[in-house]
Amino acid sequence: MLIPCPHCGTRPVEEFTFLGDASVARPASNDPASMEQWFEYVYLRSNPKGRFDEYVQHSGGCRSWLVISRDTDSHEVFGCVMAKDYNRKRKGAKP
Amino acid sequence: MTSFRLAKGGLIDRNSALNFKFDGRSFTGHPGDTLASALIANGVHLMGRSFKYHRPRGVISAGASEPNALVELREGGAKEANTRATVIELYDGLAARSQNRWPSLDFDIGALNSLASSMFVAGFYYKTFMWPKSFWEKIYEPIIRKAAGLGTASREADPDKYEKSYAHCDMLVIGSGPTGLMAALAAARSGGRVILADEGSVLGGSLLFETEEIGGVAGYDWAQGVLAELGSMPNVTLLPRTTIFGWYDGNVFGAVERVNDHVLAPPPYEPRQRYWRIIAGHAVLAAGAEERPIVFGGNDIPGVMLASAMRVYANRYGAAAGQSVVVFTNNDSGYRTARNMLAHGVHVEAVVDSRPDAKAGAGSVQVLRGRMIAAVGGGKGVTGVELSGGTHIACGTVAMSGGWSPIVNLACQRGAKPKWDAAILGFVPPDVGPNFTAAGSAAGRMLLSECLADGATKGTLKGKAPAVPKCRDEAFAISPLWWVKESRGKAFVDYQNDSTAKDLPLAAREGYRDIELAKRYTTAGMATDQGKLGNVNAIAILAQATGRSMDQVGTTSFRPFYTPVAFGAFAGPFTGHHFQPVRKTPLHDWAEERGAVFVETGLWMRSSWFPKEGEGWLASASREVKATRGGVGICDVSTLGKIDIQGDDAGLFLDRLYCNTFSTLGLGKARYGLMLREDGIVFDDGTTSRLAEDHYVMTTTTANAAKVMAHVEFAHQVLWPELDVTYVSVTEQWAQMALAGPKSRATLRKIVDGLILSDETVPYLAAKEITILGGIPARLFRISFSGEHAYELAVPADYGNLVARALCQAGAEFGIVPYGVEALSIMRVEKGHVAGGELNGTVTAADLGLAKMMSAKKDYIGRMMAGREGLIDASRQCVVGIRPVDKADRIKSGAHILKIGDRPSMTNDQGYVSSVAWSPMLNMWIGLALVANGRARLGETVRVWDGLRGTDVAGEICDPVHFDRENRRLHA
Amino acid sequence: MPETPMRSSPLMAPRGRFGGGRGAPGVTFRLRHPLSIVTVMARQGKGEAVAEALAPYTAQWAGPEQYFVVAEGGDESALYRQLKSALGGIASVVDQSHGRVVIRIEGPKSRNVLAKGTPVDLHTDEFPVGKSALTQMAHVGVHLTRAGEDAFDLSVFRGFAESFWEWITSQAEEFGYQVR
Repeated sequence: MLIPCPHCGTRPVEEFTFLGDASVARPASNDPASMEQWFEYVYLRSNPKGRFDEYVQHSGGCRSWLVISRDTDSHEVFGCVMAKDYNRKRKGAKP
Repeated sequence: MTSFRLAKGGLIDRNSALNFKFDGRSFTGHPGDTLASALIANGVHLMGRSFKYHRPRGVISAGASEPNALVELREGGAKEANTRATVIELYDGLAARSQNRWPSLDFDIGALNSLASSMFVAGFYYKTFMWPKSFWEKIYEPIIRKAAGLGTASREADPDKYEKSYAHCDMLVIGSGPTGLMAALAAARSGGRVILADEGSVLGGSLLFETEEIGGVAGYDWAQGVLAELGSMPNVTLLPRTTIFGWYDGNVFGAVERVNDHVLAPPPYEPRQRYWRIIAGHAVLAAGAEERPIVFGGNDIPGVMLASAMRVYANRYGAAAGQSVVVFTNNDSGYRTARNMLAHGVHVEAVVDSRPDAKAGAGSVQVLRGRMIAAVGGGKGVTGVELSGGTHIACGTVAMSGGWSPIVNLACQRGAKPKWDAAILGFVPPDVGPNFTAAGSAAGRMLLSECLADGATKGTLKGKAPAVPKCRDEAFAISPLWWVKESRGKAFVDYQNDSTAKDLPLAAREGYRDIELAKRYTTAGMATDQGKLGNVNAIAILAQATGRSMDQVGTTSFRPFYTPVAFGAFAGPFTGHHFQPVRKTPLHDWAEERGAVFVETGLWMRSSWFPKEGEGWLASASREVKATRGGVGICDVSTLGKIDIQGDDAGLFLDRLYCNTFSTLGLGKARYGLMLREDGIVFDDGTTSRLAEDHYVMTTTTANAAKVMAHVEFAHQVLWPELDVTYVSVTEQWAQMALAGPKSRATLRKIVDGLILSDETVPYLAAKEITILGGIPARLFRISFSGEHAYELAVPADYGNLVARALCQAGAEFGIVPYGVEALSIMRVEKGHVAGGELNGTVTAADLGLAKMMSAKKDYIGRMMAGREGLIDASRQCVVGIRPVDKADRIKSGAHILKIGDRPSMTNDQGYVSSVAWSPMLNMWIGLALVANGRARLGETVRVWDGLRGTDVAGEICDPVHFDRENRRLHA
Repeated sequence: MPETPMRSSPLMAPRGRFGGGRGAPGVTFRLRHPLSIVTVMARQGKGEAVAEALAPYTAQWAGPEQYFVVAEGGDESALYRQLKSALGGIASVVDQSHGRVVIRIEGPKSRNVLAKGTPVDLHTDEFPVGKSALTQMAHVGVHLTRAGEDAFDLSVFRGFAESFWEWITSQAEEFGYQVR
């Protein structure tokens, strides 16, 4: 599989380290009442067949944390962006 | 011995002779021959024994699909089993051996299996070796394993060099026949970077043996012209002897180039094979089509071969498969063989064409239309054929053509299934998108003009396709014939696995109707050839037996590799001590001079102990500890991870990374930090120092250095990108050494520039940027892992050896010793400091006795989850010291802790010993242990039980600090 | 300040011609040592300012808003100190002169040798002179810079230098190589 790193260009998957589901977001609160959200953040991960956004680090290249959007079934890659841009866009989309 | 070498013709160099051996017998051949063609030219057809029935087998094909003529090549570590004689290029001195026979190919005891063949039908093993169950492991399996398999692997290391390489192109053309050459030419002329790869030793594909003309010249000559043009273009790479074996995501192709398989031994410095990863913008599959056998009685007797193979041997290699031929076909292409063989002066007895209405002809040769071969006479060679209806024809060889299967494999390797084309009676490639297209006969085009045009179109990257040269097409027509039902004797579907026409209906009757199940049940389509010849016949027979269409039955999955690839090619140069890179510290030379014994820690080589003459590791490490605690010792700690962290928010960032606080750390100060994972478990620990308001340097454990770096990057880029912070590994910039012991300060004093070392100038936990030895920049940290008055001194790596030597000189008067990780480990156990044995991915800060470090005033990674009920349970295992009650006893790491009187069981388990050391200071074995509710149990006597190594001693739970509990030495 | 002692080389590479072929070597290797290498990382929002400030220097791209500034000769830490004062407040400046080892590979076969390790497309159109890439070769992280038509700089962490040297020279054996 080839991954289009936004900084380095297209590189083979061997240069990357996958972390998984990028849909999880770290809760902002340390209130004990938020424990359920913390549990979800730490432990619950999607593993869908089809389109999936995943955290991946270009560990063998520029070391950027990225989010790759790909189809886990067909292996089609739809895009790959900086994780911080992905999260900024996500936060913006959900006021 | 009769020579079967034709008088003229072929692409062989008749002026030079090559000597080779097959099963110890000497033969000669010519440059340009394969092992198979040279054997055929010498009248040798018997090249192997079949897998199950040990039937004598000859060569069937002339290429990669060969199921029968599998031989062992070369000797010793370079030996390669199951190589196909049809693709082995002949070289002087070649030595090959037949396989799966004993005592000899000619007389093989295993052939007795054939007499008992009714026992060996599909599913035989599953049915027979079921009972009694206890017999399986000890009796059945070893016998089956001994009898199974073809060649044997060498147990010696492969002496040859293998390589890997990447390649990039706009257009990869797979196959160099008429289609591939046109495609490559089109792509090259439109300016793209082109790679043309072909598994053959010579480029040209079918043009190397077919006799049609292209553009008014012989096809071979046309090919030479195209190749000359391609060869002259800087944007074209020609890769003969290169098999594209796999198609992967992103249009990446795997290939193996046999750089030096065609010579006796690779020349010095050259690899035997090169493994390519080709990243292709576009690719054209021009792999051609594979001729199919027909399933009829005796279709495996040596001398029965594919009609096209017979043409290859005659036209390309100048070798006649026999002196008389019967052609058996269901399509027009079989007639070519008749005509070609006739032209070579070989007697063609008849063309047996299963089609009653066939229109094709072959000059003077008699054509028997609507007839079929029911049986072949002969044992180790063909003597004649018997037709359905009774006619007998004497002949020496049989050429068969059951039609053509486009070589769709690569296009189907990513899951798409091929489609049945009833017009050509073959599976054609699916549409797999614009970047990988099949062309020519690989796409089911059966006419030469179609192939040339298709190649030109599919190869064009931009602009107009090049003009297609003129040629005369030979008509192609075909009618289905898979299995001659009137067959007498065994009729083989899959030669390599000895699957017969009867096995498939049997599989269907027993419920294995799915093609994937039928494959496993009958073994048709398995092993080295993966059914290249037999699969379509198998599918057809199964379809008939189950009343389904070809599409309904479908094919089995196509997976890499198209043909077998040597392990060596995948391993490449990364074998033996090159398996992974080695990391050496900047103090390596110094340690070596001092007689260090090195230990691999991850990739690092660390000095483990520094033995004097005759000392073992324990004696050496004990001496190093005593000398350090008694005077001064120096230790290489360069492998600790060092991360430079800067920015206005650096302190805040560290507060979130560590469970304790760093934003309040004073300038020029160091602090021990504990890092948790987000689930609340301890991740790593180390000392972090503040060098400036916005500048910290973090240290990590050696083992977690890379993980912590990635964690830091994640924390910033994903969790808190708004923070103004930068981070970079400086592990390798600094040679770092620990200087420990009561004389460490006195030693250090001699090398520092203009600084009076004292508790005032460099107090405990000071971090200072200084210079030493007249200007070398250095960082001095007053920290201690040994519990002694100690420092860590970091200098730019190129000065490491020099500084370590200078310190050894400076400390000579105090008896300075270098100490390694063994002594380091002893001292840390003596002091109860935790390390890898305790930071094992299950412990919390509280388990380590470090609960107080967890700040309640800030958010940090792991804070919330660390507060979970299960992680603050008082009965959790926590770190304590453990020591034997009888000082003479030894406790071992991994031993379990049990209450006195309790039997060893999971329920009774109280914890385990996580680290041990022989303490030279206390003269006994001591350890750290993780014990349930341990801190409340200090003083309790327990069983220290090690079932694995058979020890069981009484131990006492104690404070983890075994030595100098009051920390007097630290501040001495 | 007293004169600093000589830096010792992290890699002992015997000079001479090695490997196959009798004519001119396919590639030439040269260890670039001693060298000043300074990592410059832009602070939050200062990427453009840093790029501008680095114009007078030989700055190689080394990641998003990160650079290696490289200089030959000079005193210990001189480049580091210079950059630290020039970039104060807009970038973090870290001396890596001793942490990285730079090997120059040059010659007609240099691309063939590098292709045995890196998936980066080294065609001149894709990877022109002056361009840098971060990649992996033989399981080692490499900062790769095209220094000329047939010349490349390979910068690796110091600890890997010996291992990497063994690998890359063995990959060049078939073409014959010279160590300068």
